[in-house]
Amino acid sequence: MATFSADVYQNEFLPDGGTDVHAIVTVACSGAGEAGRSGSGDAAEIVIVDTSGSMSGENIAAVQVAASAALDQVLDGVWFAVVAGSNQAWLAYPQDGRSAMVQMNATTRAQAKAAVAGFRAQGGTAMGTWLTLATRLFAAVPSATQRHAILLTDGYNQHESPEQLSAAIEAARGRFQCDCRGVGSAWQVAEVRRIATALLGSVDLIAQPQAMAADFEQIMRQSMGRGVADAAVRVWAPQGSQVLFVRQVSPTVEDLTTRRQEVNALTAAYPTGAWGDESRDYHVAVRLPAKAVGQEQLAARVQVALGDEVVAQGLVKAMWSNDDTLTTRIDPAVAHYTGQAELAEAIQDGLAAKAAGDTDTATVKLGRAVQLAEETGNEEATTRLRKIVEIEDAGTGTVRLKRSVSKLDEMALDTASTKTTRVKK
Amino acid sequence: MTSLSEDEAVAPRVADQAGPARAAGAALLCPSCQSPVASSERFCEACGADLGPQPAAVAADAPVAEAPAPAAPQAAAAACHECGGEVAADGYCTQCGAAAANARHHFTEQPAPWVAAVCDRGVRHVRNEDAVALAAGPHAGGHAVLVVCDGVSSSTDSDVASLAAARAARDLLAGGPRIGNTDSVGTRVAASTKALVLAADAANDAVVAATTAGPGNPASCTFVAAVIDGKELTVGWVGDSRAYWLPESGAPRLLTVDDSFAAEQIANGVPRADAESGPQAHAITRWLGTDAPDHTPRTVSLDLDGPGWLLVCSDGLWNYCSEAQDLAGVVAAQTRSAGSEPLALAGALVDWANARGGQDNITVALARVGAGPPHSTAGTTRPIAVSSPEPVPSREEVQTDGNILS
Repeated sequence: MATFSADVYQNEFLPDGGTDVHAIVTVACSGAGEAGRSGSGDAAEIVIVDTSGSMSGENIAAVQVAASAALDQVLDGVWFAVVAGSNQAWLAYPQDGRSAMVQMNATTRAQAKAAVAGFRAQGGTAMGTWLTLATRLFAAVPSATQRHAILLTDGYNQHESPEQLSAAIEAARGRFQCDCRGVGSAWQVAEVRRIATALLGSVDLIAQPQAMAADFEQIMRQSMGRGVADAAVRVWAPQGSQVLFVRQVSPTVEDLTTRRQEVNALTAAYPTGAWGDESRDYHVAVRLPAKAVGQEQLAARVQVALGDEVVAQGLVKAMWSNDDTLTTRIDPAVAHYTGQAELAEAIQDGLAAKAAGDTDTATVKLGRAVQLAEETGNEEATTRLRKIVEIEDAGTGTVRLKRSVSKLDEMALDTASTKTTRVKK
Repeated sequence: MTSLSEDEAVAPRVADQAGPARAAGAALLCPSCQSPVASSERFCEACGADLGPQPAAVAADAPVAEAPAPAAPQAAAAACHECGGEVAADGYCTQCGAAAANARHHFTEQPAPWVAAVCDRGVRHVRNEDAVALAAGPHAGGHAVLVVCDGVSSSTDSDVASLAAARAARDLLAGGPRIGNTDSVGTRVAASTKALVLAADAANDAVVAATTAGPGNPASCTFVAAVIDGKELTVGWVGDSRAYWLPESGAPRLLTVDDSFAAEQIANGVPRADAESGPQAHAITRWLGTDAPDHTPRTVSLDLDGPGWLLVCSDGLWNYCSEAQDLAGVVAAQTRSAGSEPLALAGALVDWANARGGQDNITVALARVGAGPPHSTAGTTRPIAVSSPEPVPSREEVQTDGNILS
């Protein structure tokens, strides 16, 4: 039986007239069990791989190995399918004419791997059609409460309009989670990030085709280790207050604010997908009407809900004080993750400005990113930034853009921009 | 946890005084934090909130003063005191988020019309780590016990510890044997002094019992207890909570000598105002608790032969008026505006300290000795003894400081 905890890190003291309360809430899950085996419904997995013409050669061979490795990780009894995507989506497995998912066992695993071995690279790229087929396949297995897909592409979405892709994403939202990967340098990070963000998944670059199998295996193993099908973070805030934002800040930065689903007048739910034994940090900011010095009040109840059941709760408090030594302290966790979120934004804005030819903005933004990475001790980000800019002074964020930069290095910096380092508590 | 005194003279009274919510026998919840509490508990083990009044009788055969109004809301689910909404099990309103009223932040006691106290969180502190416990016979000038403990703010759970300590000491002193009027002065002083030593033991035991196991700063607090028995006043203390005697006529007096770094400096000739505003002005050298080197109280006895106020307080008050003369002036001024009803006057003094910044928790306990403000009866108050039971740390030599018991 999975158990959740919610621990709050904040400075609850506000100065006289202060209104904004910030808190980091660490939600941890243990005893999650395995996907489809925790009694809350079946699990279903779809492997979606790009088989467009550009994949021919090394890439298609690597995809065959990777898809096969992923299938090896799917637990017996889990519903599954394999979709081959080009300018349209094909159900590569099962091919029994019923166009429906099957449960994993020794036979179906062997059949699926044989189907994967028969992939041929041809056609264009229309990822919306891949998502639409996956949505339909998942919908046909009502017993599956935990639905997850891996999507791999190597190119940009050139055979359908952005609107068509958006419509497919919206139709898939809430129906399944999707971890997305791009291989090589011909795909667009922003486009694939749009899919991953909407479908509560990750986005990452696979620079070399031969790294694909290990990555697929890891994604599928992680998904199989998620025995809690679907959890939501709920935020209650008092009458007359305003929730400024709700943001996941670890392991990656994801703004959840716009995913708000009303539970009641004072409570909203933010879907977080499936959970294994892991912990994730959330930054919650609430604006309150100021109270008199000495007053105390609750600024937010941050809860974990499985369906309608609240299984954990953390309290975010506000206490007005005229003791400067109390009110001026910034909680280290809040400070750290505020910096990490700004770091992600600075990297993405800087790379976008660079791509648009706006060298001045790119230099300022990436300089700020270098400074923030230094301040928050994010050495991985510093290493990646170093491949894009010459750092003159990390402390002040003084940088120069490098003259020639590898496209893959830029993409690696972009996809990794949302990854955060944990605060030392 | 509370380690109540099992003294026969006290224990039955505790049961008698139990409020209806306790007697019901149903599962009880702390009105402040909603943690489960036992009916025998006087305050919440989780948050230290007062679970109800525990006025102690002075003796088994003495008439018991009217019980004061409950200092804490009853355990039944309460409506929010701000918006009337429902208060959730987590202690906050489900609508406006206001914290449920915390009885620990401000409470009063008045076991008899002539003895009262107000204990308040002050302005700057988040918790009220001060505590007070009183007992009194119904007749002014009879028997009264006033105990003030000030939790050391650097230690955890010191709000729980201070309340446990104050009540344990009060119970012991209230239940102790009457000192016969026919006894000699020497016998009476010896008996009073012994009772104060035992009271400090009981208070120390209560602090130790309230201390959470494990690492961290063990709970600790100061201790000052004043016992009036007819014309006899005996005071015992550990730390820097104080007792003052403010007679109608004659010089007001600070009866205690702080166990503090500041007091050591004063003893070495540093002016009081300088010593008490220095960087370590509030560092105490003795306290109650697991890590207390020695908790034997120093004691002083006085013969009260004129009317006046006995004032027992924490540093939350005396920080703003340390000198006895200054405090007497403040009391006189507050008496003019608030009157001489003890509870009203104690409240006015707390308000006065809060108006000056309320930098610390504030506790003021008062006993009106003699009749209401009369004309000068020129009573001479005579110090009759100062005792300091063994073992005595060498620094306690300051006890004979002439400016205390001149």
